[in-house]
Amino acid sequence: MSGGYRQQPGGAGKITRKDGKRVAGKQAFPPPGSGGSNPTMGPRDLDFIPEMVGGKEAQPAGAHVHDRARTGTSVGKPTALVDSNAKVTGQAWYGDDVRLANEAIGKILRSPHHYAKIKSIDTSKVEALPGVLAVATGADSPHQFGVLPVTKDEHAMAVEKVRHVGDLVACVAAVDEATAMEALNLFEVEYEVLEPVFDPKKGLEDADEPIHWRGKYHLARTNVQKRVFQEFGDRSLVATPLASSHGKWNMAGVHHGFTEPHAVVAHWDPNGRLQLYTPQQVPHYTHRALATVLDVPMHQINVIRTFVGGGFGGKSDPFPHEMCAAILARKSGRPVRITFDREEVYWINRGRHPSHIEVKMTADEEARISGFDIDALIDGGGFASFGHVTSYYNGVLATAPYELGSFHYTGARVWTNKPASGAMRGHGAVNTRCAVEVGLDEMSEQLKVDPIDLRLANLLPPHSRTISGFRITSNGMREALEKVREGSEWDSKFRQMPLGKGIGIGCGFFISGSGLPIHWDPNRFPHATVHMQVDMDGGVTVHTGAADIGQGSTTAVAQVVSEVLALPLAMIHVRSHESDTSPVDLGSYSSRVTFMNANAAIRAALEIREQLLNAAWEILGYHPNNLVLNDRRIYYKHDPAIGVSYLKALHKAQEDKGALIASGAYRSPPMGGVHKGAAAGLAPAYSFSAYVAEVDVDVETGMIKCTNVWAAHDCGKALNPMAVKGQIIGSCHMGLGQVLSEKMVYGRTGHLQNPNLLEYKIPSVHEMPHVEPIIIESCDPEGPFGAKEAGEGPLLPVLPAVVNAVYDAIGIRLRDLPLTPDVVFKGIEKGMKAAGVDDPLDLTSPRVEHGPLQPLLVKRAAEHKVRDRARQRSEDTNPYVNGVLFGFDPNLPLEDQVEGWRTATEPDPEQLAELGLAGKAWLKKEQRHMGGDE
Amino acid sequence: MMLMPPFTLHHPTTVDEACELAATLMAAGESFDWVAGGTDLVPNYKWHINTKPHVISLAKIQGTASISSNELGCMVRLADLTEENGVHPVVVQAASKVASSLIRTNATLGGNLCLDTRCFWYNQGEDWRRSIDWCHKADCGTGADCRVIPNQNTLCVATYQGDIAPTLMVLGASVHLIGPNGARTIPIDSFYQLDGMKKNVLEEGEFLLKVTLPEDANRRTGSYQKLRVRDSWDFPEAGVAASWVEGDPTSLVVATTALESIPRTHPEEVASVLEAGWNGNASVKALSTAVQKSVKPVNNTALPPRYRRSMVRVLTKRAVQGLLE
Repeated sequence: MSGGYRQQPGGAGKITRKDGKRVAGKQAFPPPGSGGSNPTMGPRDLDFIPEMVGGKEAQPAGAHVHDRARTGTSVGKPTALVDSNAKVTGQAWYGDDVRLANEAIGKILRSPHHYAKIKSIDTSKVEALPGVLAVATGADSPHQFGVLPVTKDEHAMAVEKVRHVGDLVACVAAVDEATAMEALNLFEVEYEVLEPVFDPKKGLEDADEPIHWRGKYHLARTNVQKRVFQEFGDRSLVATPLASSHGKWNMAGVHHGFTEPHAVVAHWDPNGRLQLYTPQQVPHYTHRALATVLDVPMHQINVIRTFVGGGFGGKSDPFPHEMCAAILARKSGRPVRITFDREEVYWINRGRHPSHIEVKMTADEEARISGFDIDALIDGGGFASFGHVTSYYNGVLATAPYELGSFHYTGARVWTNKPASGAMRGHGAVNTRCAVEVGLDEMSEQLKVDPIDLRLANLLPPHSRTISGFRITSNGMREALEKVREGSEWDSKFRQMPLGKGIGIGCGFFISGSGLPIHWDPNRFPHATVHMQVDMDGGVTVHTGAADIGQGSTTAVAQVVSEVLALPLAMIHVRSHESDTSPVDLGSYSSRVTFMNANAAIRAALEIREQLLNAAWEILGYHPNNLVLNDRRIYYKHDPAIGVSYLKALHKAQEDKGALIASGAYRSPPMGGVHKGAAAGLAPAYSFSAYVAEVDVDVETGMIKCTNVWAAHDCGKALNPMAVKGQIIGSCHMGLGQVLSEKMVYGRTGHLQNPNLLEYKIPSVHEMPHVEPIIIESCDPEGPFGAKEAGEGPLLPVLPAVVNAVYDAIGIRLRDLPLTPDVVFKGIEKGMKAAGVDDPLDLTSPRVEHGPLQPLLVKRAAEHKVRDRARQRSEDTNPYVNGVLFGFDPNLPLEDQVEGWRTATEPDPEQLAELGLAGKAWLKKEQRHMGGDE
Repeated sequence: MMLMPPFTLHHPTTVDEACELAATLMAAGESFDWVAGGTDLVPNYKWHINTKPHVISLAKIQGTASISSNELGCMVRLADLTEENGVHPVVVQAASKVASSLIRTNATLGGNLCLDTRCFWYNQGEDWRRSIDWCHKADCGTGADCRVIPNQNTLCVATYQGDIAPTLMVLGASVHLIGPNGARTIPIDSFYQLDGMKKNVLEEGEFLLKVTLPEDANRRTGSYQKLRVRDSWDFPEAGVAASWVEGDPTSLVVATTALESIPRTHPEEVASVLEAGWNGNASVKALSTAVQKSVKPVNNTALPPRYRRSMVRVLTKRAVQGLLE
């Protein structure tokens, strides 16, 4: 005990006497800097220090640039989320938990019509009702907003037109809920009903009154919001395929089904600043949109993110009700709270797009995949939301993990008079991924090979480039496939089980952080910034705008800071709720938070670490290179007895300047191609996954029971294995919902028939299979300590794995999702007819006999395994681009090597006749090319 | 945020008091609903569906939760319908499949038998129903047409989705009704009355007091088969109950639920099969097909009617499987 630091590690001693009284000078609470309830310094945990820097943690995928910053404190250890105590004790404050004094209750008047012009709104009776404090209509909100700067097509409340049943028309604030509800019945709105569009196929045609009008960029008079064409590679390769698959899919729209309905509280504080409380994944977009809609500079708005009771993409748009609350609060001069009921949640929607997807694929005589031809027509509902991006993702995220001879994609997103679709876990990639993986299963059957071997022999290696120019870095796809094959005992089950029992494989590929920050140039501003402050008490306050939506981003940020500074997690305090105190952050979408924010946090922590080590250098006389940072103590690496406490070093560093302050940022490296849309799907890293699902199908009823899932996901490095496993299991649940039972049902009148959690069938615990999460660590060179995403990618493989397993069980390919029992039964009836049997129990399930290609694939996969390992460990740094498998030289431009190698973003005129369903959007011209705007 | 409209909640403590209360309200021209566990009524009230200014609770009436092999009071909670309590195994089987364990703790037998009929044009919030311009069952004074089968506004085709009624039917149970005009006992077979709005024979002011089972019900064995998407929460999309005296096919009784506006037994279909003489599997097949043909589900629940109807065959087959053993 020296220098007055009673709280030094290991020196706390007893603080109470035998009679229970406090010892003089000893504190009854953990002294500052002691690390909370555990004041004793822990030994250096070599099990969690990489072998490359002298520890015992195995690194089969090689070293990482952050290895030297590892202290064995937090990274890689299963850790309960730092906000879990608040949640399990009911103290977390969600949107509707915010109660401000004198609050008024806001309610929204919604459109009863699918599509109508608003001719007049008479609010006089509403205003006359005692207890009504404020009324607002579209006239109060003339400014448009939208999540993407290119497609701002929303208003706080309808201006001129309502676009779906449930669209916002007006709102009212009153002294209590009953008065507000009564007030809603007093609005007198005159509508002129217009002809609605529900079928996205109809949306491709010209309409009298398109749902939105984009001026000179409008596509003829259609309801097409966005069309995409992409073609890469050598299309001549698909001319004479050995095997091919052609599937037409119908996928219903699904909703996120988060537990917490939307809720918002708006309050104009005494200084005239707006304080807005909302459970947002992306508070920054709301911040921007509020400024636009309210005509108030951003610095006069403070967006406070409450705890988020589940988001999954459904809380990432700026929402009109957030604007309504702010407008009502401004008009009434009182805080206004709006909470949705479940029906309203479905009306604001932003769930996965209902999709018509057509996939044609071919394989050549060596079982190489010579072409993917994808057509996706997606139903956007009434507004653009994230749809611009979704239109690309439906195609471009299918360009990996396989090496392709050619790739062709046409996509179109159309407006219809339904609640708007948007971003949902696995954004845009899920539906096409399912179609592609099922196609591969079908081709493997034709080729008489095992579908896992077909995949293993066609994978892109680590450190390669996809056909569309995405930069793949770490890649754990092969290991994931091998692990699930082994875990599921695939080789003794596939095509060998009795009727009704089946097993299937599916893979996934997803971005780990969108490479393009939507609102700014990534070369000028970083993706993420983290501020850090260490005051005299030794606690570290981290300011980040990363929105924890339950995925554990706050924990991840706290963990990496704890790791770098070798401090217990309890000493790291992450502040991320208010836009006033957090640096601008793009929020939680595109699986970017851990990758980008943790990277920024590591940079800030390294800066603090350097200041601490320099201070220790002054005290101890040993250069920082020879100092070891361990639990609240810094010591000379050859003699641990020579050291200084963390607090002492900290105070030395703080001399003359007070608290230590640091800021860290993450920016992605320049990457990607230059063609139109090249940025869509671009990410600094990608996650890979492979799942095997096992199902029981009741052939008499068509009921599917998924019994087991072996789920391998490559997350680079599991910073928190417990959180990664949780994400994998949760993803399985959500994906199973989409493949088995969840759908937004639009009835014959175009109304959403099931806007409630009884009829929108999210699987219950009874439907949950046993999930065996398998973590693959490929050590991403740019990820924080090697980590990549684990929040969205793990959802993708569930769908195709189940669909393929159902085929294995009953021999029937189904392409209508979800596979509700009636869909399956219809398939079984067809199968019975085809097989000429009366009883479904007489059906036979498919069997396989491997053909001559099988040994060839096994051999190629074994060679590729050696190749991949060398590339993963950077022993082989030769460039590798998609096309090498087909014999091209990666060092030369592919265009120079093969005649007809295409990189096209618009169809050639002669292609127009043969385009698929969504491709038909290319038959129309934009207004500017039609001889003028209307 | 789902505020119920205001209503007065009454808590009679005896059957007589309840009947008196009902008579008083009727005399005053005030409408009212009965409530037992509330798991059916309260959601409808939250959605503002056919709400009334008065609600009379049966919860505090003494002696309405009797439970034995031959008598079940209306306030018996579904969670208490167990074999340990002497309840017939077929009833237990059905009760254990109702909704979720949480709901079964509150829901009552009486409430389940008097369950409101369901329809996806009807079980919706007020804004939603306004957007379809209301429906025949909750027309809000507009005289709206049926949305399931348009151009007919005489009958409501909402579906009865209770699980327990068909099992009591195949066991030959009787229901005891009581109201201001006195008590009556009728076979549960004739309790239900075809129409999604009328639902059953209860007159205004009458409520279901208890269910009794005949002495020989214990000699019967049987099964209840439920079709649903998820193994929790979901109402039946189709349900088939069957019972028989062990080894005696001629005693077979079959009842269906969740296919029409009322649950019902199928004596004619059973009789026609028995007439030809019981012949194991062949009879089961003939019976399943006959029952399937006799039901006419409509499109107003989660699964399409064609599929539900097809499944009646499978459910019937599985319900009577025990007869073949």
